[in-house]
Amino acid sequence: MKNALVGGGQKTSAHRPSTEGARRRRLIRLTRPWLLLAPALVVLAGLLLYPIFQVGKISLQDWEVTFGGGVGEFTGFDHYSELLSSELLWKTVMPNTVFFAVACVGLTVVLGTLVALLLNRLGTTWRAICSVSILAAWAMPAVTGTYVWIWLFQPEEGMFSQLAGALGLIDPATTNWFTERLPFYAIATLNVVHHGFPFVAITVFAGLLTIPRELYEAGMIDGANAWQRFWKITVPTIRPVFLVVTILSTIWDFKVFTQIFLMPGGSGSNEEVYNLGVYSYVQAFGQDDYGAGSAAAVLLTLLLVLITIVYIRALFRQGEEDL
Amino acid sequence: MSTRRTSRATRIGLPAAVFALLVFTLFPVYWMVSTSFDPKAVTRGSDVLPSGFSFEHFELVFERGNFGTFLLNSALVGLGTILAAAVLSLFAAIAVARFKFRFRTSVLIMVLIVQMVPLEALVIPLFLQMRDYELLNSLLGLTIVYIALSLPFAIWTLRGFVQAVPKEVEEAAYIDGASWFRMFRSVLLPLVAPGLVATSIFAFITAWNEFVFAYTFMKDSEKYTAAVGIYQFFGENSTAWGPVMASSTLVTLPVMIFFVLVHKRLGSGLAAGAVKG
Repeated sequence: MKNALVGGGQKTSAHRPSTEGARRRRLIRLTRPWLLLAPALVVLAGLLLYPIFQVGKISLQDWEVTFGGGVGEFTGFDHYSELLSSELLWKTVMPNTVFFAVACVGLTVVLGTLVALLLNRLGTTWRAICSVSILAAWAMPAVTGTYVWIWLFQPEEGMFSQLAGALGLIDPATTNWFTERLPFYAIATLNVVHHGFPFVAITVFAGLLTIPRELYEAGMIDGANAWQRFWKITVPTIRPVFLVVTILSTIWDFKVFTQIFLMPGGSGSNEEVYNLGVYSYVQAFGQDDYGAGSAAAVLLTLLLVLITIVYIRALFRQGEEDL
Repeated sequence: MSTRRTSRATRIGLPAAVFALLVFTLFPVYWMVSTSFDPKAVTRGSDVLPSGFSFEHFELVFERGNFGTFLLNSALVGLGTILAAAVLSLFAAIAVARFKFRFRTSVLIMVLIVQMVPLEALVIPLFLQMRDYELLNSLLGLTIVYIALSLPFAIWTLRGFVQAVPKEVEEAAYIDGASWFRMFRSVLLPLVAPGLVATSIFAFITAWNEFVFAYTFMKDSEKYTAAVGIYQFFGENSTAWGPVMASSTLVTLPVMIFFVLVHKRLGSGLAAGAVKG
């Protein structure tokens, strides 16, 4: 902005009363950023902020679907008290959501870090080959990736069912890994970790490259082994990177929807495997109870906002005050 | 780091780790592609190699599954998304990267926060709203939603690219007497163009992959996007895995190629958010 002032100032001040020119320039300086921002802000406000407000409103209503529009009847916090007192929420939905997220985040960050350390030790050629393979896993769309994992674990015909049957671990004809909660979520975890670790690996690897080599040389002179060097040098130096990938993974893994919804039984027929997102969706679109679905969606949003606040504070502490 | 001594553990451990990584990352992709060409897809069991090679699943997907229409729908929605998202996010990114103004930090934080909102919370109100406006079953309605979904990331990434352009270059243009718009067109735009392309491709991928909204909004099978269209090959009791994998391959491969092509720029953009640029 300062540049614009300098450039415009020289021309106008020559043959115009300087106060008028200054006022005009100040007006431009004040309005130009907002003019540039306006279109994006309008879209974000209309399609992301207003709907969030709406979902809060609908959660306080019984929504009646009528021809040519819906009608809401105010019911106060009925949907919330119903939701929060339901056994399904506390016995199934919340444990599924939380434990699944914790498992995914833990595995994603550990695997991603290990792969980053591996990349750091490879020569140029193998590093490039591994990077491309990591990118392939990252680029796999959630929808098609989920289908491949379903196909691999498909009862009877799936590859892993056949392998486990051949090893005598299971009877492929009678075993269905998708009907029970634990194997269902184990497969979902595999899917999400496969899709999620590349982000961690690439980000941590970029962080590793910023660590001065002298630190490691000093560590080696002091006789630190690889394990000690990792915990005493690598982790403290790029702690902000670890913080960010962990929090971002937490946010993403809490709201996993597609990967659960597309699995057999995941779209509503098996209550055992609901997570918060699926529960909200099934309430709204399966049972036409938009109010109850919205209440669950608000609960999920609040959880995520909490984690997001932690994330933003971490970003600021990291020294991006000049955001 | 760089140990000059290569112990036996590294000589065996490193290749083993690389092998395990390649198998874990690429095997699902291989299984998808090889099943799509396998004429006896469903009964291949655990055979690593497909039993033969044929295009029959692809033919079925296009002739009986109408998949060409779905791919076209996805491409149209994706193109609409990137055209709008590129323009909107570039202007917004310039505003937050180049100007100091009140509430700038608030705007940036808001952009970060809306990115975290779960789609399940948005799909209910947007579905009810789009129904009132009769925009369900419309590619336009879907495109509008995707523009909004891809904006936060695009703004955040492009902001990094704009910041990377040295201010001196802009100053030089002003000294030469250029107006702001002249400077934008002849200096800033060419310099951030690579970033704009990368961001646009990412917006395209977002739209191409999206499932929840496409599944909820599009009830007329003529309007399905490709990601939703695969669903129809699932049967009540048995699934035609050949066609499912063939259509999955058609959806996945363009994304993979694009992603690998732009990853360098995007990767640095992604990491810049984390490593502090």
